[in-house]
Amino acid sequence: MVQINFAQKQINAKIVYYGPGMSGKTTNLEVVHQRAPAPNRGDLTSISTDGDRTLFFDYMPLDLGTVAGMRTCFQMYTVPGQVYYNSTRKLVLQGCDGVIFVADSQESMREQNIESLKNLEENLAEYGKNIADMPLIIQYNKRDMPGAVSVETLEADLNQYGAPSFEAVANTGQGVFPTLKALAAVVLKNLSQESSAGGSSPSPAAPAAPAPMATSDGVPEQSAQFAAPAAAQPGGENHPPAAVPSKAADSSEADNASAPLMETGFTPRENGVPQPVSAASAQGSISGAPAGTAMQGQLDSGGAASTAVAPAPARQARPRPQTAGKSAGARPAKGRQKAAPKAPVKKQGNTVYTIAFIVLAAAVGAVLAKTILSFL
Amino acid sequence: MSHDQQLRADRLVFYEKEIEELNSELDAFLELSKAKTAMLIDREGHLVTRRGESIKSSLDSVSALIAGSFAATREMARLMGEDEFAVLHHQGVSNSIQIQAVGPRTLMGVIFDGRTNLGLVRFYAQECNRRVKEILDQVEVQSSGRGSGLAENFSESAEAALDKLF
Ligand SMILES: Nc1nc2c(ncn2[C@@H]2O[C@H](COP(=O)(O)OP(=O)(O)OP(=O)(O)O)[C@@H](O)[C@H]2O)c(=O)[nH]1
Ligand SMILES: [Mg+2]
Repeated sequence: MVQINFAQKQINAKIVYYGPGMSGKTTNLEVVHQRAPAPNRGDLTSISTDGDRTLFFDYMPLDLGTVAGMRTCFQMYTVPGQVYYNSTRKLVLQGCDGVIFVADSQESMREQNIESLKNLEENLAEYGKNIADMPLIIQYNKRDMPGAVSVETLEADLNQYGAPSFEAVANTGQGVFPTLKALAAVVLKNLSQESSAGGSSPSPAAPAAPAPMATSDGVPEQSAQFAAPAAAQPGGENHPPAAVPSKAADSSEADNASAPLMETGFTPRENGVPQPVSAASAQGSISGAPAGTAMQGQLDSGGAASTAVAPAPARQARPRPQTAGKSAGARPAKGRQKAAPKAPVKKQGNTVYTIAFIVLAAAVGAVLAKTILSFL
Repeated sequence: MSHDQQLRADRLVFYEKEIEELNSELDAFLELSKAKTAMLIDREGHLVTRRGESIKSSLDSVSALIAGSFAATREMARLMGEDEFAVLHHQGVSNSIQIQAVGPRTLMGVIFDGRTNLGLVRFYAQECNRRVKEILDQVEVQSSGRGSGLAENFSESAEAALDKLF
């Protein structure tokens, strides 16, 4: 769900990278993180397993710049692709405003691509959304793999919606930005669109909107946010132009391939010089050192009982090898924060733990309630 | 639902006056509770407004994690036949955070340290929550009736911004 905030002069939209396990969703986001100009990108936060498989989501905010006086931001997420994690995958999809479907071009992944797309449809449907109405871009990733299936086959497998599609080799950065740009264009177009796409009467039947308190008075400090991308990408080695849209929907895409973000090289994380994320960058975050967690259901939300649990060992954001990307130079490296959960949560065990947890919490809560009441 | 209605239902528009009202509620809450920071976040993880001390690390990331944390525990709640856990509390060594649902679309996150305690935060947050919810209910009603309020030239301006960035 788009949030338009005239007080902050900011627009927020949520976009999600979807697709089967290991298709390259996290890699896409890492490339964006490494190659977007520093003032435009935020920290990359990953909630993943030790083996780098996404467990809940990766998250990164991206500032697209000032559009008609409004700072326009994308909150970008990846889902966990593994079939097993559907419950968390579905949560990430909630309220999303656009989807990039990252398919794996390998022959062995054809079935899983189709499954994942079907799963996307189902999960959107659970939120009352039709995939046909959702801004959608398809990326055929891993084009470099020896056994890559032809684009025609992939189109036939996956693109019944006629979504714009792009070829990519995400771990070299190829195709990552053209894909993102295409989605951004659709999402932003949707945003400004008031009347029905079906060509009905252009004047909205809605009551006259109250005039925004502030729209056109410019946002001087925001424009500084927009450092020229060229200046922010020193010494990037050139790659051949990134993937060309396989559907020639927009010839400008190909032209734009010469823009800085689309041609700078990218070092995949495996080959990168390990560069630990500074612990300090993660330390300030809430995920850094929780000593305990308490949850209160609506059961007791009316009462004064407060629940707290015996401290659990603090989960420290662990340093992890990080790609030696474009973080060189004067600007401080914005590290990839990793909130590392211990192990995948199993659903059934979870219920048992949760119940045990609640019983414990209730007991502790009763004692605490007295203490707390004495504070009031 | 028509396409138009759908578009409006899919967005939440906040005007300056509403944010000012929300801010003054949060300020009053911080004053009373002695908490460090109070913020409103929509359930998708977008920050609505923040008052009090700034956050050392990225506010956006904290907002996204709060929304994720709430969403994940809500699923846990459902396993137990609860609608959701209305209040979450994560306790750290020096900083703690309380997360509370405010109506169907918004969360309130409160960060506090040893200068106050959970009881005080809980007590005043409850009160603040009620008032904030009233304001948000109005925003929601009005949001569905009004357009985005974006400038006419938004579309062209968006294209220019994208060409500049990419
Ligand atoms: N050869 C090749 N490898 C790639 C490409 N894109 C990503 N990879 C590699 O594929 C592996 C998995 O990539 P991830 O980005 O972690 O995959 P994911 O989609 O996030 O996977 P889940 O989190 O499990 O859903 C990594 O080792 C990447 O380096 C590509 O285009 N070509
Ligand atoms: Mg991943």
